[in-house]
Amino acid sequence: MLINIKNNWELPESMVTSESVYRSRRTFLKSLGYGLGGIVFSPSYLNGANIGFSTELNPLYVLKELDLTPYNLITSYNNFFEFSTDKEGPKKLANKGWNSEPWMIEVRGLVRNPIKMDVNDLIKKIGGIEQRVYRMRCVEAWSMVIPWNGFPLSKLIKLVDPTADAKFVKFTSFIDPGQAPRQRRRNIHWPYVEGLTLSEAANELTFMGTGLYGRAMPNQNGAPIRLVVPWKYGFKSIKSIVKIDFVSKAPINTWQALQPREYGFFANVNPNVSHPRWSQATERIIGGGFFESRKETLMFNGYEKEVGHLYYGVDLRKFY
Amino acid sequence: MKGQLVNIFRFKLFIYTMLALPGLYMFYPILSHNPIFLADPAKYLLEYFGKTATLLFIFVLSLSPMRVIMPNFKIIASISRYRRMFGVSVFVYIVFHLIFYLIYEGIFSQIVENLKTPFILSGVFAFFILFILASTSTDWAVKQIGYSRWKCIHRLAYLAALLIFYHQALQEKNGIVQTIYFFAPLAILEFLRVGKYVLKKSFNKY
Repeated sequence: MLINIKNNWELPESMVTSESVYRSRRTFLKSLGYGLGGIVFSPSYLNGANIGFSTELNPLYVLKELDLTPYNLITSYNNFFEFSTDKEGPKKLANKGWNSEPWMIEVRGLVRNPIKMDVNDLIKKIGGIEQRVYRMRCVEAWSMVIPWNGFPLSKLIKLVDPTADAKFVKFTSFIDPGQAPRQRRRNIHWPYVEGLTLSEAANELTFMGTGLYGRAMPNQNGAPIRLVVPWKYGFKSIKSIVKIDFVSKAPINTWQALQPREYGFFANVNPNVSHPRWSQATERIIGGGFFESRKETLMFNGYEKEVGHLYYGVDLRKFY
Repeated sequence: MKGQLVNIFRFKLFIYTMLALPGLYMFYPILSHNPIFLADPAKYLLEYFGKTATLLFIFVLSLSPMRVIMPNFKIIASISRYRRMFGVSVFVYIVFHLIFYLIYEGIFSQIVENLKTPFILSGVFAFFILFILASTSTDWAVKQIGYSRWKCIHRLAYLAALLIFYHQALQEKNGIVQTIYFFAPLAILEFLRVGKYVLKKSFNKY
């Protein structure tokens, strides 16, 4: 007998927007827009790469012992330096006219089947999306628990079929100084770049996020498609990807280029290796309240079983 | 008319209220359920009080160069009478900053561990300097120590400013732009003060 016990994070059917409402969303919003003028500033949660695909939870990736971080905190406390260096800035500034739809993504380099297509088409080609609950640990010593929607990167790798020379995967984010105010400054070399080794990229945990909490990815969280690498510090999980290159040499990721002494290529969560300015042994839980929100950081953010073998024999103090 | 407006800066109550306002602002994000506050209340308050104390400290230190440069500007002269009170309030805000830092770190061993980093150490030194200055800022203390010696001790404030500059700069994730913005007015004013002093001296020679 199959008993389907709903987990507490599973949104009830009653919260799902019905298809008819969804299809008439533009008329609905127009009417809202005329009525409320500037109050409704962005309907970004209504479009994006998620809609129209079922988001079944993958039962292998549930964190029963942890509470999910509330939606409103995940979408209000963001590091998105293209828009702002404050935590509250991206929510406001990424929804002021920056368009994450339509969105072309290109996968190229040392692959047999390069791709350049719309994100929604890519998801169709991949075969839909699933939901996974992952821990998220920022290098600034705070953490969240996030129910992502998306697909494992390994599926995309199979699709493009890298050649034997491909050793690394380089991810590049968008560049749009007109909409992203911080890109008008020169202190960071834009666009944002991140990288993984091919074996890291092909690991079953490595995920392409297209939404969270069953909704499309909010702009401030990296719409419409981003990387999610849960055993690495958050800055590795590059947002709003436009280009994925399969390359033979390790790319220099943005933070490594900025401060190589503080941020490396691997950036694995490691409680034993401190940041030069603070300890990484513990972390603050976002939404945890005043006094009891610090807990011990786990090796590889708790994913040692899944990814520990990737770093067997590697000096993690040297390759931080 | 102009004279009347300036007089408001002579009222102690007015000055007290102005100095307490940044402290009262603390309750605004709490009452408005600001998600940035809810995400990590201790961190929010720690940063808020750190920033407030820094800005207020820069303001206090700017008073004497401003008085030298613009001796006829009455508001500055009125506020300068309460300079010590401003200084003490800087210390009060730094105490809040420290309390929220201790709550934020939470674990004693980690606090001790962090004392090894230049970031935390510079803050601790600045705190001790401000503690000495605040605890010797009563009229009684000035009399006991003697004005010239007291003034000498209170020049430690400039050392504290340098330490706070360093502390604040290390806290920034990317570059030190904000810290430079904060401290630039003070640097410019001090530069002008020294410039005026040098000019005056060279004129007096003849």
